[in-house]
Amino acid sequence: MDEYIVEMRHITKRFPGIIANDDVSIGIRQGEVFALLGENGAGKSTLMSMLFGMYRPDLGEIYVRGEKVDFHSANDATAKNIGMVHQHFKLVDNYTIAENIVLGVEPMTRKLGFLPAVNMKEANREIEKLSKEYGLEVNPRNLIEDVPVSVRQRVEILKMLYRQAEIMIFDEPTAVLTPSEIEFLLKIIDSLRKAGKTIILITHKIEEIKQIADRCAILCRGKLVDVLDVNSASAQEMANMMVGREVDLVTHKSEPHIGKEVLNVQGLTVLDENKFPVVKDVSFCVRAGEIFAIAGVSGNGQTQIADAVCGLEEAAQGSITLNGQDITHTSIRKRAERGISYIPEDRQSTGTVMDFQLSENLALRRYGREPYSKKGILNFTKIRENAEELIDRYDIRCAQGPKTIMRSMSGGNQQKAIIGREIEEHSDLIIFVQPTRGLDIGAIEKIHNQILAERDRGAAILLISLELSEVMELADTIGVIFSGEMLKIAPASELTRNEVGRYMMGVKEA
Amino acid sequence: MKENKRKGLAGLLTSDRWSNVTVSVLAIILMLATSSVILLIMGKNPLTAFRSFLQGCGFLPKAKYGGGSGMLSDLFDYLNILAPMLLAAVAFIVAFKTGLFNIGISGQMLLSGFMATILVGYMKELSPWIAKPLVILIGIATGGLLGALIGFLKYKFNIHEVVSTIMVNYIISFTTGFFINTRYVDMLTRSSRICSTASRLTWTKVNIGGVNCNVPLGIVIAIIGAVLVKFIFDKTVFGFELKAVGTSRKCAGYIGVNVGRSIVLSMAFSGIFAGLAGVTYYLGYTNTMVPKTLPGMGYDSIAVALLGNSSPLGAIFASVIVTIFQSGANYMSSSIGVAKEIASLITGILLLFAACGEYMKILGRRKIEKEEDKKIAAMQEARVKGGADK
Repeated sequence: MDEYIVEMRHITKRFPGIIANDDVSIGIRQGEVFALLGENGAGKSTLMSMLFGMYRPDLGEIYVRGEKVDFHSANDATAKNIGMVHQHFKLVDNYTIAENIVLGVEPMTRKLGFLPAVNMKEANREIEKLSKEYGLEVNPRNLIEDVPVSVRQRVEILKMLYRQAEIMIFDEPTAVLTPSEIEFLLKIIDSLRKAGKTIILITHKIEEIKQIADRCAILCRGKLVDVLDVNSASAQEMANMMVGREVDLVTHKSEPHIGKEVLNVQGLTVLDENKFPVVKDVSFCVRAGEIFAIAGVSGNGQTQIADAVCGLEEAAQGSITLNGQDITHTSIRKRAERGISYIPEDRQSTGTVMDFQLSENLALRRYGREPYSKKGILNFTKIRENAEELIDRYDIRCAQGPKTIMRSMSGGNQQKAIIGREIEEHSDLIIFVQPTRGLDIGAIEKIHNQILAERDRGAAILLISLELSEVMELADTIGVIFSGEMLKIAPASELTRNEVGRYMMGVKEA
Repeated sequence: MKENKRKGLAGLLTSDRWSNVTVSVLAIILMLATSSVILLIMGKNPLTAFRSFLQGCGFLPKAKYGGGSGMLSDLFDYLNILAPMLLAAVAFIVAFKTGLFNIGISGQMLLSGFMATILVGYMKELSPWIAKPLVILIGIATGGLLGALIGFLKYKFNIHEVVSTIMVNYIISFTTGFFINTRYVDMLTRSSRICSTASRLTWTKVNIGGVNCNVPLGIVIAIIGAVLVKFIFDKTVFGFELKAVGTSRKCAGYIGVNVGRSIVLSMAFSGIFAGLAGVTYYLGYTNTMVPKTLPGMGYDSIAVALLGNSSPLGAIFASVIVTIFQSGANYMSSSIGVAKEIASLITGILLLFAACGEYMKILGRRKIEKEEDKKIAAMQEARVKGGADK
């Protein structure tokens, strides 16, 4: 008989239109790293939100340390030493790290013997101690707005530690981190495990599970598929269970048929709002039938290059030529008409109008043209037909068909819609920025195949990705950017993963 | 039976098609209930009060009428106030759909009315066939230019429209006040001199069915305007782009909409309706201008637009309701002896409930969910029992 610290029995939770969890039962042992694996929308986060008291299960029971609990709020869960790091951090930007951590459970002192005040000295000391103990490297006196995302995440971890959490839930903790930051986080999780904490890790990345987790529950469409010992299962097996069908973890790529030059960027410099150059004198060209990938750590100017090519950012210096025509000062719409499609990094605020219907979002590139509009009057029949066609062709899952509001769709399906819309323009140049960020294996596989299909059709592809493995898998030519400068451009076959990784860190040729 | 009915209400509150209508109707019912309680506390019969509001607006016959006036003349007076109210609400909606908060409708109304009054209203010899279109044109031009200026300030210098419109409101209020006081004042009333009959957008003392009526031209303009705005936002490429700018400025830029131009155009468009509201208000309803006073209608219209769920047709409905209380307040006050300020109180209560609309929807949704949960629980129980039998 297993001794479980947390047990969830026959949990069912419904939301209008879907069953998020359908009769799910799991047990978690003290001191293990327990992973919840599943695609987006499989019900992982919902299940854990119930353990953390944010939702209440419709059916089923939760036991913590053998005792039946009925949480009405996150406070109830905190009282049972359960903590959670959400995907979106809940921090006050203009407070210091320590102030954020003690918020709600402030250590008090009496100034002059009677005036109540928050004892920040005590808080700072306590937090520094915790930070050292678990190797978190956090300075409690810094302001949240001054520290990067990875540190903010560690602040959330400290917040749990400060509240004496024994059971810690991490919701997709690596989605926002760079590869080296992920390494660091996994180390922290390991040290937490060594300290006897129980960790629940929600993720859809199998590599991470292989690296850190002891056991893993796989959810697929709200149902529990299996609970595995991580060591005894292969990555391929886990992937198949999670997607519910056979998936291919290896991309099959044919030889490129490289044609004429499509995009030529010469000496491009882009300034940020403080007139500081974020892209410095960058030159490269992308040819038809080629995938040119820009590798680099986040924030080194790669998105600005994409924005400058499509016209969202102004080029301070340099020239951009498309099919031999200078487009450096052409408007965004004219550039799109001349043959640029763009899948932007931020699919929610840039790529779509979230409050519009799916059909309208799918027509964003074409609504101004016949037959979708005539003399300035929109033809909604044609717009709907267009949507029905794309929904079918790109397998966009939407509850109410073309009428579905974009916001209500899952991230993966939003991305499918954007990619479908952009690919359907049959442009000469397609720019993909972080096309698979936050998506699950099944969706990534499909998108990679779509990118390759477009290349084989003869389109020039500019791919910008923070995932080194994605760059290595897809690229025909790789450009590595560091601090706004293109450090190296070479055919993908001439570069190893490690070499690219080194250039990404700013190491120039020896 | 009762259970069915309650589920029906919850269904209506949550359905995509009907929820906006049911929420507004429910808000009105709750408003009537609450104000009845208030009137009861004051010792008045609420039914009499509501009837007198309707009588004041010409929807119900009064007990007696003065010479030459009748129910129809009250109704036309009501339409005379309704017209600028609706136009101002439409002005707000145009900007709001583009993501702009035009709180300067009052100022735009005031300046348009002022310009039309001094340029046309005081020219005695113009024929009405020239004067009236000229007044409308001046209203459109003044409001449009003023709106465009606000849009331009936002686009060029990133000045928030709420800040600039509030400041411009004061500038307009005091400048026009200065000119009225120094050049156009009527020494007796301390307001501006009455504008000429020819220039007014209301035909005064038209004899219809034996009673004298003031027939407003504005209400026709207002309804055409509301329908036009609905058409533009629902059916045209221009409206689609404005809505895109309004909901996601980043995405609008990404698909190639000229965001700056859209902002200027939308504010100009909004200003045009505010200008029309201004001329129908000052050269149709009041016919005179009190110096240094912004029309409260400019602010009320924001509330009306929101009660109408920021849709032009909703605004027609909302302005019809709100104007009943404002227009009927005088008669109600004199007939049952309650201070006419109660009209503002009732409007306030109405808006309060309208603002609770989202909450009502949530209540409806929760109710439906609970019922579905019950069904599932029953089903699962049945399943468990079935398993045990086997």
